[in-house]
Amino acid sequence: MTRYVLKTLWRHRTRTLLTVTGAAVAMFVFCFVGSVQEGLQRLTSGADAERSLIVFQENRFCPTTSRLPEDYARKISELPGVRDVMPIQVWTNNCRASLDIVVFNGADPDQIQQTRPLKLLAGSWQQFTSQRDAAIVGRNVAQRRGLKVGDQFSIGDISVNVAGIFQSTVPSEENLIYTSLKFLQYTRGLDAAGLVTQHEVLLSSDADPDRVASQIDETLRAGSVATKTRRKGAFQASTLSDLVDLIGFAHWLGYACVGLVLSLVATTTVMSVQDRIKEYAVLQTIGVRPLRALRLVLAESTLLCLVGGWLGTALALLALGLGGFAIGAEGATIAFRPSFDLALSGIFTSILVGVVAGLAPAIQAATVPIVNALREA
Amino acid sequence: MALVELRGVSKSFRKGDETITPLDNIDLNIEAGEFLSLMGPSGTGKSTLLNLVSGIDRPDSGTIMVAGTDVTQLSRSKLADWRAANLGYIFQTHNLIPVLTAYENVELPTLLLKLSSSQRRQRVELAMEAVGLSDRAEHYPRQLSGGQEQRVGIARAIVAHPKVVVADEPTGSLDAETSEQVQVLLQRLNKELNITLLMVTHDRDVAAIASRQLVLDRGKFLELAEAGQTS
Repeated sequence: MTRYVLKTLWRHRTRTLLTVTGAAVAMFVFCFVGSVQEGLQRLTSGADAERSLIVFQENRFCPTTSRLPEDYARKISELPGVRDVMPIQVWTNNCRASLDIVVFNGADPDQIQQTRPLKLLAGSWQQFTSQRDAAIVGRNVAQRRGLKVGDQFSIGDISVNVAGIFQSTVPSEENLIYTSLKFLQYTRGLDAAGLVTQHEVLLSSDADPDRVASQIDETLRAGSVATKTRRKGAFQASTLSDLVDLIGFAHWLGYACVGLVLSLVATTTVMSVQDRIKEYAVLQTIGVRPLRALRLVLAESTLLCLVGGWLGTALALLALGLGGFAIGAEGATIAFRPSFDLALSGIFTSILVGVVAGLAPAIQAATVPIVNALREA
Repeated sequence: MALVELRGVSKSFRKGDETITPLDNIDLNIEAGEFLSLMGPSGTGKSTLLNLVSGIDRPDSGTIMVAGTDVTQLSRSKLADWRAANLGYIFQTHNLIPVLTAYENVELPTLLLKLSSSQRRQRVELAMEAVGLSDRAEHYPRQLSGGQEQRVGIARAIVAHPKVVVADEPTGSLDAETSEQVQVLLQRLNKELNITLLMVTHDRDVAAIASRQLVLDRGKFLELAEAGQTS
């Protein structure tokens, strides 16, 4: 009977091809939207987002406007629950939302190597730590900008030597360029000697993040600049708040894609069954059970959806893997990455939509009035 | 006990405001191995009777026992199982599945039975051989002539070794020469394989090949004659 289903689909190959293509395009978009949602989810949750804090200047949003004394790091590190503090100077080419945002993070190279979950894919840490204008570049930025080790990369007043390309277990990190703190502080136009944009605070395992955040703000209230300390996830969500709303809205686009596949495959299957209603009557006259006739139609619609869905999902994952896409604003970025969950949800959604799309025509085929259908020309 | 027994079977249809009763309280026995032809003018209920015996239609009243099973009492699903095991149906318009080859069309009913693949292959080959189409096994219906299509339809009807085969105007859409070939084939199946056949036709010459001929007129049967007495 599988042969019957496959041959039926092959017989109407133009219709099959169009339906599969439509399903593939819709599932491609569905997976892309899904990857944006996943990127946001990753950015605002997980160990890195929950167990570290960002100390930023109070009432400031864009990194160019936050200027904290570097010395705050020493005061923060004395507080209970704080494991390490990394002063970071941030420079970005664009404070507004952009698909090709370039974000420099200047910090102590040794500290970066010890505290950040980075792995060099090419280049050397030694060059990064010893050369003043050396930079290690996240692989997504390198992919987008076509950078490789040894290249000179300039943007605005900043010019760096690419000393390494890194990957990270935190996908958004792969959209960053790390330089030494001193190099970025003394960059022309920044005038930030002794100042940093933010302090990243790593907490000990037993510390309560919110309590430590309050203590930091309380302690630094007496300093020259008031601070606002938040969990890293909350800080990034707040920084990207405009995008978060947009991404929240984009999930409707994902649902619309599912609806599109549903109506496309349902229409194709209804047409197919109505064209062959006599065939189903013949099959039942021969002895095919109504339930089996129902399963034949469901198999047809599910196969259409599965092939289209699998194709769209595979293409989306490939594009996400090769493209290194990210969207960012105000120094924070959301990375669009392929994932096993995304593949699984694409395939599962395709199967589900295939079954739902085939239900009405399948019932029609199973309950066909045999005698009337056999009389049809 | 007859292989097919109809007792008090009635069937009516609504046509606009009018009620038509083609079968009115009829009785009929068909013995095992018998070849019965059923004639009558159009609209007298011949095909309706065939459909009732096949279990693809239900009577308003009466019982239809086929090989000891009252088919009027079975659910649609049980009827499908029963047809797969007990009934072969030869259609006037062949009704082969266009996407399947001749072999695959004949194989279809065997897929519904619990048979091993070798048993299945053996049955299909025998049925194809019986209708003389072994050399056309890989041809699709569109590559066959009308007569060959009908012979594939006949092979499909007998491949599951049914207890009874019904044929609805099996020569109705064939030319005279092909019709004769199909008639000879049906006669041979009945005599050599002892297949019980119930055939509906409005052609007297075709009806004459059966061992028993009935005419259905105004809801009642008229026995015509024993085989060989009609010509």
